[in-house]
Amino acid sequence: MIKGMKREVAKRVFSKEFNYSKFKVGGEGEKEAVYVLTPLGLRCNRLFIVGVLLEKEEVKPDSDMWRIRVADPTGSFLGFVSKFQPEALEALVDLNPPEIVAITAKAKLLERGDRVIPLIRPENINSSDFQTRDYWIVETAKATLKRIRAIENGEEKAVIEKYDPDLEEFRSAVINALMKLKEEQNILEKGREFEREDKERKEVKKDLGFEIDEEIVDLSDFDIGD
Amino acid sequence: MAEDRFQTIVNEIYERFKVYGVTRKEIESRLKLLLFEFKVPEEEAKRTIVNGLRKNYNIAKGDLKTPIVKISQIEPNQWVSLKGKIIQLWEPSSPTIAQTGLIGDETGTARFVVWSKSNKKRLEEGKSYLFEKVVVDEFMGIKSIKVTSVSDIKEISEEIEVKEERGEIEVVGALVAIQQNSGLLQTCKLCGRVVKAGICVEHGKVETNEVLRLRGVLDDGERTYDLTLNEKCISSLTGIGIKEARKLAEEHLDRSIVLMELKKRLFGKYLKVSGELRFRSLNASSVEFYRPEILKEVEKVLGEEGI
Ligand SMILES: [Zn+2]
Repeated sequence: MIKGMKREVAKRVFSKEFNYSKFKVGGEGEKEAVYVLTPLGLRCNRLFIVGVLLEKEEVKPDSDMWRIRVADPTGSFLGFVSKFQPEALEALVDLNPPEIVAITAKAKLLERGDRVIPLIRPENINSSDFQTRDYWIVETAKATLKRIRAIENGEEKAVIEKYDPDLEEFRSAVINALMKLKEEQNILEKGREFEREDKERKEVKKDLGFEIDEEIVDLSDFDIGD
Repeated sequence: MAEDRFQTIVNEIYERFKVYGVTRKEIESRLKLLLFEFKVPEEEAKRTIVNGLRKNYNIAKGDLKTPIVKISQIEPNQWVSLKGKIIQLWEPSSPTIAQTGLIGDETGTARFVVWSKSNKKRLEEGKSYLFEKVVVDEFMGIKSIKVTSVSDIKEISEEIEVKEERGEIEVVGALVAIQQNSGLLQTCKLCGRVVKAGICVEHGKVETNEVLRLRGVLDDGERTYDLTLNEKCISSLTGIGIKEARKLAEEHLDRSIVLMELKKRLFGKYLKVSGELRFRSLNASSVEFYRPEILKEVEKVLGEEGI
């Protein structure tokens, strides 16, 4: 990469939206990047994904080409990692499904006859954690709802022409993802409350012990006082 | 053609030739002839007049004063002069480039490249210069000015207020890339470049400093920031300070283990960074893992959807 050049932003998109993509935009002239156009009007060249690595499988033995599947609450991303992404390939060796992973990847459309298959080519993969995954869902939900609103407001005429997306379907997928997350968080919250109560009980005990100690000190002072 | 456009072209040419005694009238009549009678395209007319005047007044190509323009006005393939302040110097990507970076004035910013062959004095960050006879280039929508051997650069003392986006900010984003020039590094004591095997590309065999730093990209889904974390920031996130980094490197007989360790712990994490923003560069003064209350965040989004 030439320094000072604009870096492609890593877009946040759920697999459901991404997997409906059929069209590319851009790529006019050698210097312009190619973007995958999603049915909600996102132009993406690079993605940031936090999800569950479900499968990791070498396409052919010793081919060093790995097929991966990464799930989010709406479905899963299909990805391929090869020796052309050395950092991702190296990291993949240490990862064992199921595992939460954070990925930056190039968004691609593979054309097979009259079929178009959206897929990702990871540049970097790293093991991640539940908190990061949860925030990714929130962030991606927000970005997706914003795109839906833009279409509703008639800002994306070209997208409607190309895809005529079922906005309600995408919206309910986002809402379901959030509701599921909310449920999980409520369960977690209950666990935390229990922990807090438990801790409070212990603290009360500790306080009690401290007062008793003081009483002892007071008493002994009193005794020595003479 | 609109009258004001016509006058703009006249002025442009006049500014370049007035020192030689060329009059506005002279330019106007030639321009009228070419544009309105012969219907020559604008650029061709301009070029013809400039070449004609140069011949008439015996001005060598290299001597011709180029107009002083503002950065917001520069267009590809123009020869111009401009006053600007060096905002940032970057590590050149090729030995044919002596210096490259960002220059700015009160109207905007542009990249600049000083070719090694041009043999110019080194520019310093924060200083202002008059660049004469530089050529404007464009690559991927980004304008840059090229300093060649015919260009002149003079340091100037006037203070240039650069129109820039800067100041203390707080950003939340994902760390989506960690550059190779991160980790436990040796840098040249003279220029600060990263040194490999004790050899600086500029200064040869040199004394070095050892630093722990991270260069990466913070990305909030809408824009990216070139993030720099110093030792203090790295240590507050990972517990790895320069001592621990040295120990790691010694144990593994390999410095690159430090970079690998940082990648493992930080790549893909959401960070909340406070620091100074200069264009895309964010120099962190403090950083923490971003851990919002997810339940609250979810309820907020659902609330906005009426649920
Ligand atoms: Zn040096």
